[in-house]
Amino acid sequence: MKSETGTTSRRTALKYLGIGGGAVAASPLLAACDSVQESQDSGGGSGVFPETPDWRFVFVNHVTTNSFFVPTRTGLADAAKLVGVPEPQWTGSENGNVAQMASAMETAVNSKAAGIAVALTDNNAFVDLTKRALDAGIPVLAYNANAADNYPLTYVGQDLYLSGVKMGQKIAEKVTSGTILVGISQPGGNNVQPRLDGIIDALKQAAPGVRVQSVNTGAEQAAELSAMEAAHTGQQDAKGIYAVDAGSTAACAKLIGDRGLSGKVGGGGFDLLDDTIAGVQSGALDFTIDQSPYLQGFLTVLYLYLYRLSGTLVAPPVTDTGLTFVTKENVGPYASAHSKFEGGDNDKLVEMPSSIPLPPPSVLSR
Amino acid sequence: MPGGRTLLLGLMRVKELSILLVTIAAAIYFSTSSDAFNSVANYQTIAQYVAPWSIIAAGEVMLLICGEIDLSAGFVFALAPFLLMQFYVNGWPLALALLGAIVASMLIGVINGLIRTVLGVPSFITTLGMAFLLYGLVLIISGGRPVAAPKDAAVMQVFGGAKWTELLWAIGVIIVLQVILSGTRFGIHTQATGGNRVGAAESGIAINRIKVINFAVLGTLAGLAGILQGTRVGSYDPTNGGFDTMFFGVASAVIGGTALLGGTGTVVGAFLGALLLGIAFDGFNVLGVSANAFNVVLGAAILIAMILNVSLLVLRKRMGSRELA
Repeated sequence: MKSETGTTSRRTALKYLGIGGGAVAASPLLAACDSVQESQDSGGGSGVFPETPDWRFVFVNHVTTNSFFVPTRTGLADAAKLVGVPEPQWTGSENGNVAQMASAMETAVNSKAAGIAVALTDNNAFVDLTKRALDAGIPVLAYNANAADNYPLTYVGQDLYLSGVKMGQKIAEKVTSGTILVGISQPGGNNVQPRLDGIIDALKQAAPGVRVQSVNTGAEQAAELSAMEAAHTGQQDAKGIYAVDAGSTAACAKLIGDRGLSGKVGGGGFDLLDDTIAGVQSGALDFTIDQSPYLQGFLTVLYLYLYRLSGTLVAPPVTDTGLTFVTKENVGPYASAHSKFEGGDNDKLVEMPSSIPLPPPSVLSR
Repeated sequence: MPGGRTLLLGLMRVKELSILLVTIAAAIYFSTSSDAFNSVANYQTIAQYVAPWSIIAAGEVMLLICGEIDLSAGFVFALAPFLLMQFYVNGWPLALALLGAIVASMLIGVINGLIRTVLGVPSFITTLGMAFLLYGLVLIISGGRPVAAPKDAAVMQVFGGAKWTELLWAIGVIIVLQVILSGTRFGIHTQATGGNRVGAAESGIAINRIKVINFAVLGTLAGLAGILQGTRVGSYDPTNGGFDTMFFGVASAVIGGTALLGGTGTVVGAFLGALLLGIAFDGFNVLGVSANAFNVVLGAAILIAMILNVSLLVLRKRMGSRELA
């Protein structure tokens, strides 16, 4: 029985890797999972991997209680269980307070954590701490948010600007002239502004006739809908209604549905709130982008584990977790599974669809 | 043992004793639970929690004693570093920009005080409105984005840049305000204003002026604390401070024995209150408590600590009255 469930979770994990497009990550991971699973099958404590101490990994997060990160926490707990280390500590700030995050990271360094994963939401506050941790032999990875001129061993998360560029290219497939509205919860914010910049740059290339009007929606969900409604009322000939954050995207879906604009305007955005998924399903939104929060926890723990286990030989690769376009073709499992991989409570096997829609064509960086 | 008894009774008369004992108990608990707790590096982390809370708490103690409260302190805290940068990028020398930011923080306190005393708007509402107004200003000035603190400049080394300076400022503020509160005419007038407003006014104390000055003191301190913390972290961030920081300041004051309704309180007690909160915050992080459970544990710890504290207070009063009898 035990070996059976073990195989299942490995397959599910591997499938996710495929969907997440983490091609770089796949090969070392595949080996890792295989080995660990075999070890569990054989019933021995650590199997082909040597015995390890109870490594305590610490995740420093900017919004610890935000529902977006529920799958991340599931992911990190799953990975820890898989490799037999204690569940990592999840700490930081509840409301983006950088000083509080820095103190939490400092505590982790002082208490000699085995590894630290930090969301680099600030360019300066974590530089010295990262140096200190590395100096003390504590590996530091960045996840979910990255910053320039810091020294994490790698970054596991969405390439925010690139995701905006891809979204801009997607928009250009549908809209080639006129004005589009783009909702943004916090203009200038480290975790959303790069997406908007990416969209604007991509549209300049692919559809220069499109004018982007950004809408400042604020962080409260009810207010986000009001802001999008007001913007559309003032710009009723808008050719598309888009957004670059989770709440505003849900607002786009509701707005397009409420005003009967499905099919008449383009729509799309980020993340997987219920309204967003329903919008994709009903056709109000053409797409939403899944940045795989599960993998941001799961892979980060595996990377930290392997890095320690190998004494730095298995260096963690840069991993972009987030360019999966969820469209009407592949929205099925998102809407029905309530899977733990997307923040639901279902930890059973999710059925494969009968066919897999074509992903974007592969591009070589040359 | 009459000598020992006298000593014990003398100790029991110190107002801050019970909260001191509770704080020591917490420190012992975490020391025995984790090896990592007792290290210089960890003391420094605790100091980082304690310093901003205790500086704000010191100012809130003065205000609470004279019967007022300031909810906007956390946003003066967030605004001051951006004012500093605003002045600095417009060509002011850094030291002058720093002074300008602190003076502006003081003026915000004066405005709060004048709205309260001259226009008669309750301080709860006055400072709540001011809190949102300042938060908006912070977002506008910062564009919602953090900026790097000028950490390496010599003058900033004194203001949070160098290790421990934040805590040294906090201790300095505590000592100065405690001396003012218990040893000067202004301090006694502050206590009288909160203890018996009408009586104080009729005996010739300018209660409105006392209040405005105390609002200004808190504004100054909140601005200072914000600059200290931002500089220490190396980044001025619009999410720093806020209601959380203000609330931890008020909580420190009340835990340390200041009455929410005015009249009595001690600044040293507020420091011990902040120390207790800081030890708990850091300690549970050292023990590896994760975010969701953290608030449960922290809340329970505060409740237990305060129940202990109040029990000790009752014990102290009982022993004191027995001695009198």
